[in-house]
Amino acid sequence: MSRVTKFITAVSLLGLSGLPARAAVDASATQFELFGLPVTNSIITTWAVALALIVAVRLAIGSKPTLVPSRGQAMVESLIDGVRELVEPIVGKRTAPAALPLLLTLFVFILINNWSGLLPGVGTIGMESHGEDGSHHFEPFIRPFTADMNGTIALAVVAMAGWAVLIWRFAGPKLILHDLFGNKANRNEVPAAIYYFLTLIFLAVGVIEIISIAIRPVSLSFRLFGNVFGGENLLHGTFFAFPFYFLELLIGLVQALVFTLLVSVYIGLICNHGDDHAAEHGEDHEPHAAH
Amino acid sequence: MSLVIAAVEGSLHIAVGAGAAAIGVGLIGTKAVEAVGRNPGASGKILVQSILGMALAEAVAFYVIFLA
Repeated sequence: MSRVTKFITAVSLLGLSGLPARAAVDASATQFELFGLPVTNSIITTWAVALALIVAVRLAIGSKPTLVPSRGQAMVESLIDGVRELVEPIVGKRTAPAALPLLLTLFVFILINNWSGLLPGVGTIGMESHGEDGSHHFEPFIRPFTADMNGTIALAVVAMAGWAVLIWRFAGPKLILHDLFGNKANRNEVPAAIYYFLTLIFLAVGVIEIISIAIRPVSLSFRLFGNVFGGENLLHGTFFAFPFYFLELLIGLVQALVFTLLVSVYIGLICNHGDDHAAEHGEDHEPHAAH
Repeated sequence: MSLVIAAVEGSLHIAVGAGAAAIGVGLIGTKAVEAVGRNPGASGKILVQSILGMALAEAVAFYVIFLA
């Protein structure tokens, strides 16, 4: 009986529940245990979102994709085309077919997870418990997945693992090593002594580059976490005021876009080199000739 | 010098980090608006670039808030 009363109290105190100072980040609350591993409230949200996405795409396309698309299939195709248009110039034509599944999944998954915090009930329905010193502690049943640091770290690790596989397959170890540590000076234009000195400098640059590559998962995860968690806190603290709701919608879209674009830039930096330069020069001359 | 005349309380490093991030975003916005004024037809491309730049500059504020 007391649990039901607490539940009703929590639901009826929707607005006030966000007021206690939330600058410190609470750990995600474990809801139940599955095979000995804790299942937190944000994991439940991500399972629901993944299931909803799979079911939605399957329902939109029907049993088999047809050459003349139905309405649902045309919607999915326009989404795929939109993301492909966005990343193909960055990643390069050779890598685009292999990189597109990773980037498309990242974009749609992060987008829907960011927006899941805006659905009624996510993050607002939960258990309210009172500490001994009179502090209120509110534990929601479901929370957005990207508002949880575990979630964004997982996304960043998966994205960087996909990056590593893609550059290994499409650039190869030799090109990677040359890109990181290789001497990029032109041997014909530079005197021999300076050339060998530059080799040492480029080795040092390579080490700095390795450090910056190691920071990438950290920056990816923190950027996404900070934006979505901060937005969730803002909404809970200001009683879901309309301008902040719209801002959170926009920020969810922008952060998904930024995550996808950044991963594609990391892939394109190594994979998108000489093969596209000839095409770019050819295209550059065209508009001049047209005028 | 043991008499404390004034003290700065609170998170000074969060203030500096967030302030720098805000200035960075404002600079990107300035240049974006200027670029659209010079070439109004390119406003779509400029929008995409500037949003990307703003998100990257904003991220530093989140590092400071949650890492420090």
